[in-house]
This record gives sequence, structure tokens and C-alpha cells, in this order.
Amino acid sequence: MRKRVILTFAPAIVHMPVTYRLAKDFNIASNILRAQVAPDEVGKLVLELSGDIDQIEAAITWMRDQGIDVSLMGHEIVIDEDLCVHCGLCTGVCPTGALALHAETFLLQFRRSRCIVCEQCVPVCPVAAISTNL
Amino acid sequence: MATERSIDEINAKIRRGTVRVLTAAELKAAVRAAGVAAVAAEVDVIATGTFEPMESSGAILNIGHTDPPIRLAKAWLNGVEAYCGFGAVDLYLGAAQMGESLDYGGGHVIAELVAGRAVRLRATGLPADCYPRREYECQVQLDGINQAYLFNPRNAYQNFIVGVNGGDRPLYTYLGTLQPRLGNAVYASVGALSPLLNDAHLRSVGIGTRIFLGGGIGYVAWEGTQHFSSQRRLPNGSPVGPAATLALIGDLKQMDPFWVRGCRFYNYGPSLMLGVGIPLPVTDAAVVAAASLADGDLVAPVIDFSIPRRVRPTFGLVSYAQLKSGQITIEGQKVRTAPLASTALSLRVAQVLKEWIASGRFELTQPVASLPAERPLLAQERPLLS
Repeated sequence: MRKRVILTFAPAIVHMPVTYRLAKDFNIASNILRAQVAPDEVGKLVLELSGDIDQIEAAITWMRDQGIDVSLMGHEIVIDEDLCVHCGLCTGVCPTGALALHAETFLLQFRRSRCIVCEQCVPVCPVAAISTNL
Repeated sequence: MATERSIDEINAKIRRGTVRVLTAAELKAAVRAAGVAAVAAEVDVIATGTFEPMESSGAILNIGHTDPPIRLAKAWLNGVEAYCGFGAVDLYLGAAQMGESLDYGGGHVIAELVAGRAVRLRATGLPADCYPRREYECQVQLDGINQAYLFNPRNAYQNFIVGVNGGDRPLYTYLGTLQPRLGNAVYASVGALSPLLNDAHLRSVGIGTRIFLGGGIGYVAWEGTQHFSSQRRLPNGSPVGPAATLALIGDLKQMDPFWVRGCRFYNYGPSLMLGVGIPLPVTDAAVVAAASLADGDLVAPVIDFSIPRRVRPTFGLVSYAQLKSGQITIEGQKVRTAPLASTALSLRVAQVLKEWIASGRFELTQPVASLPAERPLLAQERPLLS
């Protein structure tokens, strides 16, 4: 299974090679979606964990034991189909190509699996059709 | 023998139900398959359409006389100021007029009126013996006021520019957010679908042309502001940048909220997205030839908005085929492109106009006057008064 998590590291534990431990101890492949880590600062890491469901649960428990704040990515981008005019302006700021215009119909397509919930599209939408369901 | 048809003949066919209409997209495909002459012999009307932000738009409203009467001095609709320096209870509400924040403005108020919603009017009066009232406040709705029509000074731009940002901070513009270091490129025209790019020399469209405007019937009222038909052209006749524009007029009470949407650009301000459809009568084969240009035949200049001057640096011309591929190359760097106008809804405007014509609901008009074929674009360059 796959699960998206946001990890927040206190400055003292920023050095921990967490993705290595996830792979070695829990057999979990971690895809880094966003990362912000600097010396002596709070670090943030957005990961998509992929592996066995029990191993993922065990890994989350282990990370919490290490003092890493783990929050599950509950919110996602929602597009109001009644408001969207399919202009495509959002596709220019979407870093992962999750928002794209269909090559033939030119209708906006949202591929949720690619979305990293960076929310750059939210203010850019001229008709306020994009929001997060937070 | 070369095809020739009069608009009267086309209208007779519309009344008989035998008119043959193609959308601009269908026409281009037909010309690729069969050539200009064959298509001109078969087709009577080309239906073009666009759906895009048209900031230079606004509504004229006559709210009716109050008792005691008022001469409006200042007026606000949902907190958005409307101009009232003409006629006691006439208002002009500009689409780009900002309300209490940059996120709500005249375009939104116009869209709410078209959607049938009540809008709060707050006004002060300029008292006179015939207009004693000093203040007025009420809810207004489209069906409770006299005239309500869009009168848009500059719509349906024939071609436009592509905006990029060569600087190092994001820019918030009328083309939306331009990301630094050439992070994206935004283009604003639907290219080969765009009505006036199917009539590059304005042979068909003129003053008095009946059009689809916001889901109702409208007319070309005049040349638009900044009408620039003297723009440089490619050998195929298409202008290489912003060129002709139209002033459009149409009854708001007929319009459909689907085709009239308030919008705003982040940190820039409000505007109005509008569907505009223009029929091109196939009076001769040259009309078909002019409408057969494809995205690969049309270009727009790439402009760097990081220099905040009237004349900004340009990175040269790119074709609409390149823009619509999702990526252009600027000085060796790959830059993703994003549109501002909706291709999906532009196609739909053309389709609706085609159905209107085919079903006999919409007849074509002969322009009463041509739009100026040679019009330069003047800049404001008079010396500053100290």
C-alpha cells in the first residue's frame, strides 16, 4: 500500500538518515515529494511511503518514538467542476503535472496520485474553483 | 466558378433551414482535407468563439427613479464603486473595478446580476431642486431595473502576447502569476480558434456585426480601444502581436451565467471572463482562406515582465502550435506554458453559435461600416508637467 506522511524534525534529530532506516528496517520505499531541511532548523519532509501495510504502521510508530512528528496527509486538492472554466492557468504553476489539460478535449484533468498538495494552484485559479478540503 | 454569396442569400438559407455551418475548428479540418475552393462551395457560415478574461468590459445600468428622486453622485454595488457622472440614475460598472479587496470586483458583480442574484446598491446623491434625495440604499436585481447592458470598450483581442518573468521574484500580473527565472510562460489568445484571427484583415467583421455575447445576442459597436490594425504581419496576413480589438455591446438580461464569470488574478485584481462568438459569412473563397490558418501559422511575442516599462524586452516570436504543446524554449531553457483563455469553452461557444445559426435562431448582419484597416497605436509620450 501507499501512504503519504508529513514528517517534522526537531533540529536535534535532523541528521537522522530516516529514509535509509525506513528502507533497511521496514522494507519501505520512500518517495520524497517535498523536503525542507537545513542545519539547526526544524526540518520538514513530505514522503509517499510504499510497502506492506503492517510495516508502514510499524514504521510510523518507530518514527514517532524517535521524536519525529508524523502527520498523515489528510487534505487534498479539490476542484469545483461547476466553477472551473478549464482555462488551464493552474497548469503553469503545478510542479508535478498533476493538473494538465487533456490533449484532445482541452478539459482540465486532475491526477490526484501526482499531486503533492503544494497548493500553488489554489490562489492562481482566477475563478476560485480550487481549494483544499482541510 | 468561384463561390460568391450574399448575406441575404445566407439568411434565406437560415430561414429555410438549409444553411451549412462549420465551427472554426471544423472548417480548418475540412480545408486540410478538401482545400479552400471545395469548402467555400459547401459552407455558408464559419462560427468562431472564444472564452477569455476581458478586463476592459463594463455594464451600463439604469436603476430607475426613486421617490423622492435622486441624482447619483457616488454609488457602490456590493461595495464596488460604479461611475455615475452621466444621467441621474445611470451607472457604469467596470469589470476591473476593485471592491473591498483585490479578490472581488466589478466582474463578479456583473456575473451575480446575470445569475439573477440581488446586489446591494448604496448611493449618495448630489442634491438639486429636481433631485432632493441625498442617500439611497436598496437591493437591485436585473429584472427590477430598466436597461442593463454590457458595453465593453476592448474585447476579442486579435492575437496577444506571451508573458514570462526573467527576474528573481514572482510577478503578479494581468496574465496571472509569472514565476521567476522563466518558471512559466502564459499566453492569452486561443490562437487559431480566436475569432479575429480567422478574419485577419477584418473583411467580414465590422460595426453592426451581430454576435454571441455572454450567451445572449450582442453587436460590434465600434473599434475597440487600442485597436491596432497597423500591427506588423506575417506573409499569411496574421498580425505578429496584439492587433485589432472590438467594442462590444449586448443585453445583460439575455445572458447566461455560464458564459459570464467574475474572476480575479492573484495580487492583481478583478476581471470578467466572457464568451464571445462571431459568425463569419462565407461570401467568397477568401473568407475560407483567411479562416484556414492553423496554430502553426500564428505567432505571438514573448515578453519579459521583469522590466516594468512600456517597452519590455522580448525573447522573439513563438507559434501557437509551440505554446499549445505545453513547452517553449527561451534562450536554450525549456519553459512550460499555460493558457489564460479556455480552449474547451471557446470550442463550445463556437458550437453553440453554430447551433443557433443552424436552428434559425440567429441570422447574420451586414456590417454598417468597416473597422479601420490602418490604425497605429499611440503611446503617451508628452512631457510631464514638472
